[in-house]
Amino acid sequence: MGRPRAFDEDEAVRAAVDLFGGRAYDGVSVDDLVSHLGVHRNSLYKTFGSKRGLYLIALRRHLTDDVRPLLDALGDVPDAEAALRLVTTADLRLLLLATVERAPVDEEVASEVTAALAAVDRAIADALGVPADLAAALTAAALGIVLRGNPDNAATALIRHLDPLP
Amino acid sequence: MTLIRIEGDDLVVVIEGFDKLWSFKGSLTIPLANVRGATADPGIAADPKGIRAPGSHVPGVITAGTFHQDGEKVFWNVRDAAKAVVVELADERYARLVIQVDDPRAAVALVENALA
Repeated sequence: MGRPRAFDEDEAVRAAVDLFGGRAYDGVSVDDLVSHLGVHRNSLYKTFGSKRGLYLIALRRHLTDDVRPLLDALGDVPDAEAALRLVTTADLRLLLLATVERAPVDEEVASEVTAALAAVDRAIADALGVPADLAAALTAAALGIVLRGNPDNAATALIRHLDPLP
Repeated sequence: MTLIRIEGDDLVVVIEGFDKLWSFKGSLTIPLANVRGATADPGIAADPKGIRAPGSHVPGVITAGTFHQDGEKVFWNVRDAAKAVVVELADERYARLVIQVDDPRAAVALVENALA
């Protein structure tokens, strides 16, 4: 029998969401995880199997805690402007980093990310009553705005051209 | 140095050269079903390692052999901490392997892809 777990797994996973969402997968070492999560190194391996194992759990937690509420909120938007504002102000850091950094090299991450983005597309299409491809374009534009770090100005400019949309 | 490769449904870990002497092991064959993951972890070399039996530990030079810590057995074969990879196991004699490989990133990808 090993030493009993002396950490709150739930809190540790949430801390991992913030760490990976702030620094990306490759920017976080096991030393970083040990010092930020309050977990002994051996407990970390015993509980999560590997850094990647913890990352997958953190990504799924992010989708539940941060992306799911966005989907729910998108269901109530009255127009494209409101949808764009919601997506550009949501905390999607880990989803975005996972999309560009890990999805190309990790099939499981790619599957989670693809499903999450498709769900955002669907929520926008359903709420606005627009075709799926237009909803996907809106999601892509919103995420692109976030990635460029200029959500307010760029979103405002785009919104001016969305007037004909519902 | 340690070589790792996938053979069918097994992970094979081969200890090379003098390291074989220090660690008293030639090779380990572990079913992939009992491999939980692999992680490049240079920082692990600075952590307490527990009690050595059998094996060799010259601080700062080589850590090789079986170490007992917190009721777990951990297999070590590391000279250069920068190249240390941790392979976590389940239902095996060793709880984990801490081994030095030539290319940690490639070794981790090899193991993780074999598990996917």
